[in-house]
Amino acid sequence: MDPILSVRNLSTWFYLEEGVLKAVNDVSFDLSENEVLGIVGETGSGKSITVRSIMRLIHHPGKIVNGQIIYRGRGREEDIVKMDEDELTEIRGKEISMIFQDPLTSLNPLYTIGDQLMETIIQHQHVDRATAWKLAVEMLRKVQIPEPEKRMNSYPFEFSGGMKQRVVIAIALSCNPKILIADEPTTALDVTIQAQVLELMKDLQKELKTGTIFITHDLGVISAMADRVMVMYGGRQMELAPAEDLFHKPMHPYTNMLLKSIPRVDIKQDKLESIPGQPPRMIDVPEVCPFAPRCPRRLDKCTKELPPFAELEPGHFVRCFNPVEVGGDINAK
Amino acid sequence: MPSNEVVIRVQNLKKYFPIYKGFLVKKHVADVKAVDDVSFEVKKGETFALVGESGCGKTTTARVMLRLIDPTDGKIEIMGTDISRLSREELLPFRRKMQIVFQNPIGSLNPRMTVGQILTEPMLFHKIVNSKEEANQKAIELLRMVGLKPFHMDRYPHQFSGGQKQRIAIARALSVDPEIIYLDEPTSALDVSVQAQIVNLLLKFQEELGLTYVFISHNLALVRFISHQVAVMYLGKIVEMGDVNEVFDNPVHPYTKALLSASPIPDPAIEKKRKRIILTGNVPSPIARPSGCFFHPRCPFKMPICEKEYPEMKSVSSNHQVACHLVDKREV
Repeated sequence: MDPILSVRNLSTWFYLEEGVLKAVNDVSFDLSENEVLGIVGETGSGKSITVRSIMRLIHHPGKIVNGQIIYRGRGREEDIVKMDEDELTEIRGKEISMIFQDPLTSLNPLYTIGDQLMETIIQHQHVDRATAWKLAVEMLRKVQIPEPEKRMNSYPFEFSGGMKQRVVIAIALSCNPKILIADEPTTALDVTIQAQVLELMKDLQKELKTGTIFITHDLGVISAMADRVMVMYGGRQMELAPAEDLFHKPMHPYTNMLLKSIPRVDIKQDKLESIPGQPPRMIDVPEVCPFAPRCPRRLDKCTKELPPFAELEPGHFVRCFNPVEVGGDINAK
Repeated sequence: MPSNEVVIRVQNLKKYFPIYKGFLVKKHVADVKAVDDVSFEVKKGETFALVGESGCGKTTTARVMLRLIDPTDGKIEIMGTDISRLSREELLPFRRKMQIVFQNPIGSLNPRMTVGQILTEPMLFHKIVNSKEEANQKAIELLRMVGLKPFHMDRYPHQFSGGQKQRIAIARALSVDPEIIYLDEPTSALDVSVQAQIVNLLLKFQEELGLTYVFISHNLALVRFISHQVAVMYLGKIVEMGDVNEVFDNPVHPYTKALLSASPIPDPAIEKKRKRIILTGNVPSPIARPSGCFFHPRCPFKMPICEKEYPEMKSVSSNHQVACHLVDKREV
């Protein structure tokens, strides 16, 4: 079956006074129905701009300069990049929904939770207020908010952080979208609350079979959630593989080193490998591997041209001239 | 390496923030018991971690220990001297011995001072150097120690990345030759690839200079890696405490168990098989804490006694203490 979403050669650049910031460069991937795709990367790696481009939430001085975003949820191929505002309004919230990091800023403090839920439902499902009310209560029950009828009249400030994020999830899923984009949905939450919200998201994903793009910088969270994982660095895709392959046999030196640099709660470690250097500056970057300055496996070629994003094993894509072999030594060239 | 010399001894430390009501006549209506009867010891060269979720009192504990705020009751012995009632002047030598590295390096470095000024000011204030030249010399040496270059002396904080700023904050803490450094979530504002650099730097200094760290974090994986001893806090009280490997491998308190099981592990194969203890509800308000054990409304192993009595701290092994009624049950 065709994937529900295909991103092809997406490039989103920001035209700043200092130069062109190439936030997302030539990114391509597919999302299937009922699949959870995780995108990991550090600050400035381009992960958020990638998904904001899918929702067409890029504003001046940013621009989608190249690429296609093919959506197949309505029985035909539609390119989101070419849509006008009216068409986008039809898509946003109904076909593709988004959850942001901070539930405080994604809810309007002046309206009740019920109003905000019903607004989305009425806008997209064209029902009357009474039906919308019933559907909204049903959604709140689904995200396990106690006494949903009573809570419909509450304002956001009356909810705790975890409860607010549940409400945001309820709004995002209220029109049964085909695709859900979650941008660091649990980063602002405490660890026990994070566990609750992740559990809820997993259950709902299984029940509704929503294709999900899950963004995080936390490799622990991604391993709990994702079927496939894409690693981004410096605005480019570095590695894309099924979750277990990526964690057990990372082939890109960056992924490999990143996994060795994170502490684990379940085992005693003697040392953490650190990646020397700093994440790259993003303005006016040359067309070479963005990780090359920090890479111990760098070849001469790496600072002259850009490695292709190649499928080295079935389903396992890597952008590297000198990938790490399975079980191989990171420092051997 | 940790020795047997105790450098910090905290006894029955309390910090209550009073709540007043009324306009002309203010009435004391309640207290936020941010830190409530906390006791522990830290040995020289050791890292002692305070862990817990937001609002559990870990940062307040550290601030009281530094006397940035005054304790309501209890003792804070630093190298044998109780500093809990000392005056400003009497505190000065202890201010030098205790330094702090904050979570957010952007907020903790003065944007109008150059790195050189940031590093030399504390040395000149505490008179550990005799002249400005000596201070500059030492500052350059400090920069080298934290992996920066001498020419960085004339730059301003905004010219550095987050990780480099945190290196400067660490260099500043080291500038006055402290014995104890408080680390309040020193890496949580940093990217993963930079976090390991800072952690390794901190471990290196601990070994070379024999520093004692009080490490405050909600990241249990990092706590396990960096610390020797750990205290888990919940609503102002320590609920479990001891050797970090002992506590993390054999947690006894249901809250510790839940915290550990909620911490994700970066391995999909393990995550798939893991059984999580999902706690219901939120942390209750510290103004109206539940009766008995504060954790009982969320505890999956609640017994009748838990609603009535707050459990005492009891030893379960030589270096592992727990405040939970389940401990008594285990012995029976």
